[in-house]
Amino acid sequence: MKRGIGDRTILDDFVEDFCNVVEKHVKYIVCSGFVAISHGRSRATEDIDMIIEKIPEERFIKFHNDLVKSGFECMQSSNPKEIYEDYLINGDSVRYTRKNEFLPEMEIKFTKDELDEEQIKSRRKIPFTKLDIYFSSIESNIAFKEEYLKAEKDLEDAKHLRIIYEGKIDENEINKIKERIRRFRYGK
Amino acid sequence: MENNIHLRDKSHQEQIERWARYVRDNSNWKEKLKPFLDGQIIMARRAYKTLSETKDGKRRIKLIKKLRN
Repeated sequence: MKRGIGDRTILDDFVEDFCNVVEKHVKYIVCSGFVAISHGRSRATEDIDMIIEKIPEERFIKFHNDLVKSGFECMQSSNPKEIYEDYLINGDSVRYTRKNEFLPEMEIKFTKDELDEEQIKSRRKIPFTKLDIYFSSIESNIAFKEEYLKAEKDLEDAKHLRIIYEGKIDENEINKIKERIRRFRYGK
Repeated sequence: MENNIHLRDKSHQEQIERWARYVRDNSNWKEKLKPFLDGQIIMARRAYKTLSETKDGKRRIKLIKKLRN
């Protein structure tokens, strides 16, 4: 599934190496900016966003230790108990890099509501990216970018994805997700 | 940030659309994008490394990355 060495980027190698470890321990999705970038969007990013299932502390400790064994480190702390109790379980994200590298970073957080859980349930590999990792759906990414994130770069990411998948996007699905975003995130 | 978004000018929007169509229609898009994507990381790593070697650099990196001390 990997592309030829010639066009693989630093981000491609980082994200696949990281996801190979994650997949052994927990279900995850890569979402937001990297979805657009892996579809060719030409913009800068320092971090890749990942949502993982909420798991008990003991499982997280094993997961963290495997990441460390595989050459990654957490920027917030080297103590998995602290990472879990001070950050993840409170809904805060943590960032992992390759050891002794400042970037790129993988920003990890637990699912926080049904919307996140649904995104994980409907996760998929996306052939266009030629990356062997799980993403949230294109429709979900467009909905979140247009309805929730809404920064200039997010609206431009959504526009880019809409052009790439012109004629193939399920608008009903996008509208359903937007409605759920309004309900779960804005209480409307 | 929510509702007061000012999108950049028309030519910027046109460029986004032009590039997205290029990516959709040309399988060699990744070769063209790779130097840009790798370049920003290489430059940023270089900048962080230089900063980390200066007096007080590590503290300033923590500030940049909004890390607790």
